[in-house]
Amino acid sequence: MEPLDLELEATEVELPVEPMLVNVGPSHPAMHGTVRCVMELSGESIQRVDVQVGFLHRGFEKMCERGTWTQVFPYVDRCNYVSPMLNNVGFAMACEKMLGIQVPERCQYYRMILGELARMSDHLTCDGAMAMELGAFTPFLWMVKARDLIWDVMEEETGARLTHSFGRVGGMAKPPTNGFKEHVRAVSAQVLSIMGEVERLLFGNRIFLDRLEGVGFISAEDAISLGWTGPCLRAAGVPYDVRKAHPYLKYGEVDFEVPVGTNSDCLDRFLVRIAEMKQSARIIEQCIERMADEGGVNVDDPRVILPEKEEVYSTIEATIQHFKIVMEGLKLPAGEVYSYSEGGNGELGFYLVSDGSGTPYRVRIRPPCFLATAGLERIITGQMIADVVPCFGSLNMIGGECDR
Amino acid sequence: MPTFLLDDREIEFNPGDTVIAAAERAGVDIPHYCWHPGLSTAANCRMCLVELLPPEGRPALLLDVLRFDEEKGDYVLARKPKLQPACQLGAVAGMRIKSQTSEHAVEARAAVQEFLLLNHPVDCPICDQAGECRLQDYWLEHSGKKKRMQDEILHRPKAVDFGPTIVYDAERCIVCTRCVRFCDEVVGDHVLDKRERGNLGEIVLAPGRKLDHEYTLMTEHVCPVGALTAKDFRFKARVWFLRSVRSVCQGCATGCNAYTDYDPRNQTVYRHRPRENQAVNKYWMCDEGVLDYRRVHDGRILTARVAGKKASVEDALAEAAQRLAPVGKDKLAILLSFTHSSEDNLALIELARALGVGQAYATGRPSGSGDKILRHTDKNPNRAGVSQLAQALLGGLPLDFSALVAAVEGGSVGAVLALGSSVEDAALAAKLKRVPVVAISTFEGELAQQAAVLLPASSWAEADGTFVNAGGLAQVSEKAIEPQGESQPAWRHVLGVAGKLGVSLPFSRAKDLAKVLSAHAPKAGVSGSSAAAEAQA
Repeated sequence: MEPLDLELEATEVELPVEPMLVNVGPSHPAMHGTVRCVMELSGESIQRVDVQVGFLHRGFEKMCERGTWTQVFPYVDRCNYVSPMLNNVGFAMACEKMLGIQVPERCQYYRMILGELARMSDHLTCDGAMAMELGAFTPFLWMVKARDLIWDVMEEETGARLTHSFGRVGGMAKPPTNGFKEHVRAVSAQVLSIMGEVERLLFGNRIFLDRLEGVGFISAEDAISLGWTGPCLRAAGVPYDVRKAHPYLKYGEVDFEVPVGTNSDCLDRFLVRIAEMKQSARIIEQCIERMADEGGVNVDDPRVILPEKEEVYSTIEATIQHFKIVMEGLKLPAGEVYSYSEGGNGELGFYLVSDGSGTPYRVRIRPPCFLATAGLERIITGQMIADVVPCFGSLNMIGGECDR
Repeated sequence: MPTFLLDDREIEFNPGDTVIAAAERAGVDIPHYCWHPGLSTAANCRMCLVELLPPEGRPALLLDVLRFDEEKGDYVLARKPKLQPACQLGAVAGMRIKSQTSEHAVEARAAVQEFLLLNHPVDCPICDQAGECRLQDYWLEHSGKKKRMQDEILHRPKAVDFGPTIVYDAERCIVCTRCVRFCDEVVGDHVLDKRERGNLGEIVLAPGRKLDHEYTLMTEHVCPVGALTAKDFRFKARVWFLRSVRSVCQGCATGCNAYTDYDPRNQTVYRHRPRENQAVNKYWMCDEGVLDYRRVHDGRILTARVAGKKASVEDALAEAAQRLAPVGKDKLAILLSFTHSSEDNLALIELARALGVGQAYATGRPSGSGDKILRHTDKNPNRAGVSQLAQALLGGLPLDFSALVAAVEGGSVGAVLALGSSVEDAALAAKLKRVPVVAISTFEGELAQQAAVLLPASSWAEADGTFVNAGGLAQVSEKAIEPQGESQPAWRHVLGVAGKLGVSLPFSRAKDLAKVLSAHAPKAGVSGSSAAAEAQA
């Protein structure tokens, strides 16, 4: 064994400072979905980063131009696949805006309840994954358990846990089931109680808080200039929520608050989502009280709504109606429309162009998390490499929606 | 031009026009079943009812009606204007008409539509008309109401055999009498008539007759619903899968304008439909012409042959050059075809000019029966086009087929490069065997039988082509499907032969060929001239 060189002074040692180029992703556990970050590191701190999206691009918008307007629903399901109901409703509302029709009141409340449940499942997934990626595995399981309860409701109502394809232009595929209200009430209470446990698990944990607090800061001006919306923008202190700013369905009539953050860091984004879930529960409770138990959920318009199957088989009028909608597709008047609603990640916009035929001429989706992901570069530059995980997680990039 | 006002829109009309005809010309559709621009007015469907506002200072024609008053719970006396059928209403300058904007007309049309569907069977899934049916279109546009009648519908005869081409379904029939009027007025054969009235009304054949004249398929064409269906098209294809191109009928020298409907997925042509052209065929086509599309797939030559055995096109071209080259230009003859497009014939003429060949003959399908309506005795679609080209480029009309046979027998022709499939005198065809024949043929026929080397040409549906009809009108028939099998447009084979013989032609692409054609035969080269004629009409 060599003797220690006691003569050497510490000040004379020069550590190599050449930056190192590290490629994370597109397939990497820290990158949910498929995103690639090419990072230039100096030691452990990030000097520069190039965020590359698009690896999950499947050409949804182009595919929409092949079928009928109704056949777009399965595609929007697969955009933000943790809250597909919000996409379904958003697209249906865009088509209805074009047609100038409004769904019955019962359907509006039904859409709101399902939509808020979807928002809760979206936020549960995001916050749960964030905690898990920082080593807190138990809260993740807790939150996914809560999400499963919500999906039980979805399954009961739509027949599918994940991709429901439940929205329809002019209504919903089916009216609410008989036990819908009781089921939602029970689940909502359960989810809130699970969230209480999650908060107790996490907020007494110094490591968890230290990993989030003061990490991934963005100023409100920057967030706005990047086009951020949703929980990420609200965490920066900007109280913009489409449900409040431009109320649709019955959001103008229900009582709820828009939680905002103060520090605009990862912890705020985490907390805003938790607070929003509680507001969602409030909205759900009010909607359940107001939703009628009887009545249809579809508009009475033969141009857009399929007739009852029984009538299709027995009367020529219903056969023709069915034929027209299925074979030629329901026809949106020629023109264009931009319709937007509050999705899980922020303002979910649909820009539709119709040439008057039964097939979409163009469907453009404004994906909220695409714009949020555009800010990733800004919030992680200068941070430690380990901070990429909570920063990226807090933006809730959903590959299907971002890359489409 | 005088005008009248239809729903706040000025519509121009010619004196003597009906409101519906003037509106249609202006691009405004007034819904109708029984009216057809090429037939007389029956005004029996009542779908085109419009509200005619009274002239200034004149009282309106009003009817007393009873309306149910929800508040009173009883009927109350009301008045509504007497509506007029737009198909029978003569246009008068300054008249004011309300169609879509009249609540009374809208109500009346919805009622008409409800009555027409009252006893209609649930047939859309098995009906060939589905997808292009007026009942479907108008139900959505003008009614949209569910069935109110609770009773079983009235059942009537189905799948009645009307003749060799047409099947009649009385349940689907709305008794608009378009078919009856077509037979009476266009064909002059009173073979169809209407029997009974109201619910029981139906179309019947004259006693002892079948629907068997030469224009029976037009009755199916004018039928706005699925009551008359063509045996040829029944259950073959669903119309929403079909695409259309504008084509020219190949059945005779009249050159009727048609649509060729084909399925792009399996590259199959399913039917011909007439295309309006007032200068040629007005609205109609004959049965022979409608069914002529079948030749696109029947009796086709899809591979090259050398001495009757299958060969590749490349080998066949080499063999063709080997047979033609030793003969020498003085003893070589070309045989043009009246059934091929001007482009194909032009290519062969250009080859003859490049080689210095002087002997040009032409033939086509033998003559047949004709009539004074559309059918021409000359069964070749492009006799006039070939004659024009030959006169312009070869300095005279080509000789006929019997002259070619005589020249072969006399020894002045040593080899023949032939275009086309059939010849005018089939009995003489065997005599061609004495000399080598290189044939560029689409169909099995006399020329294919005699050919030492056979090159597969594609049909008119597989390439754009110009055809000049008996009246001297050049019309373009558009490409529908891709060339079948190993076939190619005949002019491509001519190019191939030219290459093997070591001469170059003044074109190598379809675009260049069209340019050469328009230079030599300006009348024939105008692309889309049929479209121009359409605009004229």
